[in-house]
Amino acid sequence: MKKNDLKSMGKSFTKYILIIGALLILLDFTFHRHEYFSFAEIYGFPAFFGFVSFVFIVMLGKWLRKFLMRKEDYYDQ
Amino acid sequence: MISNFIPGLIMIITSFLLPTIPQYFRHPAMLLSVGLSALSLFNGYGTFLEWDILGLNLILYQSDSLTLPFAIIFHIAAVLVIIFSWHSKNLMEHMATLAYAGSAIGALHAGDFFSLFIWWEATALTSVFIVFAGNTNAAKDAAMRYLIIQVSSGVLLLIGTCLMLYQTGNHNLVVLDLKTNFGIFIFIAFGIKAAFPLLNGWLQDSYPESSVTGTVALSAFTTKLAIYALARTFPGTDSLIWIGAIMTAFPVFFAVIENDLRRVLSFSLNNQLGFMVVGIGIGTELSLNGTVAHAFVHIIYKALLFMSMGAVLYRAGTTKASELGGLYKYMPFTTIFCIIGAMSISAFPLFSGFVAKSLIMSSLGGMGMVLIYFILFFASAGVLEHSGIKIPYFAFFAHERKNKFKEAPINMLIAMGIAAFLCIAIGVFPKYLYQILPYTVDYQPYTLDHVISQLQLLVFAIIAFLFLVKFKLYPSEIRSTVLNSDWFYRKMLPGIGKPLFKKIGILTESLYKNLGLSFKQVLSKSYKFSNLSYIKVTTPSFAGTILISILFIMLVIVLV
Repeated sequence: MKKNDLKSMGKSFTKYILIIGALLILLDFTFHRHEYFSFAEIYGFPAFFGFVSFVFIVMLGKWLRKFLMRKEDYYDQ
Repeated sequence: MISNFIPGLIMIITSFLLPTIPQYFRHPAMLLSVGLSALSLFNGYGTFLEWDILGLNLILYQSDSLTLPFAIIFHIAAVLVIIFSWHSKNLMEHMATLAYAGSAIGALHAGDFFSLFIWWEATALTSVFIVFAGNTNAAKDAAMRYLIIQVSSGVLLLIGTCLMLYQTGNHNLVVLDLKTNFGIFIFIAFGIKAAFPLLNGWLQDSYPESSVTGTVALSAFTTKLAIYALARTFPGTDSLIWIGAIMTAFPVFFAVIENDLRRVLSFSLNNQLGFMVVGIGIGTELSLNGTVAHAFVHIIYKALLFMSMGAVLYRAGTTKASELGGLYKYMPFTTIFCIIGAMSISAFPLFSGFVAKSLIMSSLGGMGMVLIYFILFFASAGVLEHSGIKIPYFAFFAHERKNKFKEAPINMLIAMGIAAFLCIAIGVFPKYLYQILPYTVDYQPYTLDHVISQLQLLVFAIIAFLFLVKFKLYPSEIRSTVLNSDWFYRKMLPGIGKPLFKKIGILTESLYKNLGLSFKQVLSKSYKFSNLSYIKVTTPSFAGTILISILFIMLVIVLV
């Protein structure tokens, strides 16, 4: 097996996911997406919501480490 | 005849007979007992067994449209666990697992609170041996804490039941509310097992300490039994909507920073329970169907994810993300099964999570609950983060690995394969799942709006992940302990209690001295009590003292 299998896999995965993402956004322009709440019908709203939520979760989680993270043997001390 | 037995009872009887059965026949015998128990699924609805004792009418075996889907999935889960543990020779764990699954199935068929209480405690007492079978010091400590919490839940249920019988003369499983004191006791009892916010510490504490196979068994029954009990007795209780919404959102942040992947899955389990609790809180036919459907598919994909991490633990000896990665080359089948579980829990279209979660989301949307709807939508991105990406990424990819590992044993692959098949089959043909739900369903999950909306959310959340990794913003895994609500009884209370007891000891000693009492024995005992080494309270017993005190105070309040 090649050494950089994982790297090339990552690259092609990124490429395909970006293509799918672009198609999903383009698809949004071709029909009217019905949602329960009118503001969610804005073009690409779920995509935007997904992206922002994900970044927010990771960033807030990272920040919470300051308060919640202890050494591995914390409870054994 | 055997189909008129209480479902699950045959499994408990078999579990006690297991030591007499030769090793090679134990697993077939376990499977056979599950099969015999499953015959009861064909009995239809009704009350099949009652028992008049001490002036009480116990309904030991009843079945209806809410019982059936849970009974089906509990039997399936039992089969999966047995196949997954086929290689194991741990007799205690096998006995505990079979009796635990049998107790959970028995509990589903209880028609009154006293019968439910007996099964409720039976699940606690049997499952603690599964945690115990983790066979490490950490597992043994966790097992003691687990037992205290689980039994406390049972005691609260018993108090609530006695109060209910005293005040209403009725102890049947009926719909309750939070306006009565017994309703509150029973609600908290269920809430402990359903891992409500701040009552959830036991789950993330004990599950990851169990063995390779034990965690799979634990993940299936206790919490879903609590969901069933809540759905039966508290449908439409408004506070459950908020409790559930908090449950979906908060564990997400803990899962991001947790290093042990089985603990990540335990946080994820908590988040999934939140969706079900919201469904119960809404209390409409659609939402209750959603809760049941979600519990059904969740048991399968969560078991699949725990099985894949169990296989990793079995081969690599750890599930710490900081020490894993690159296993895809050596465990390709496990990798694929894990990804199928990850896609199911993330609710990708054509996977089981999608067809179940949609019911709950649609009922929220239909009711116009905009805030809760978007909290759950947000939590869906969180599910993708911790279970959809983090689990497979850190275990199987992340970086190349030089030392080689074997693929999981064949029995594990078969169990994972069955679960993976069910995840896809239910996702592609949801009508078979919808047919067994409590209420008649006229629901189509695969509308273009819905599919595109969900795909946009998920795909762009993945793009966010790639973006964060690319710019090195994604947090690296660090060996650590993440504080959770069990901190209160593992650190805070002993932190206050130990010095307090020491001070009381010293005070008592000086009091005796000042009073000039010459009870030498008393003095020496008191001296010993004030000695730090004597005072060293182990966490489980200390937590037990506190919990029992709290229960006692609550009992006094009620009696007054």
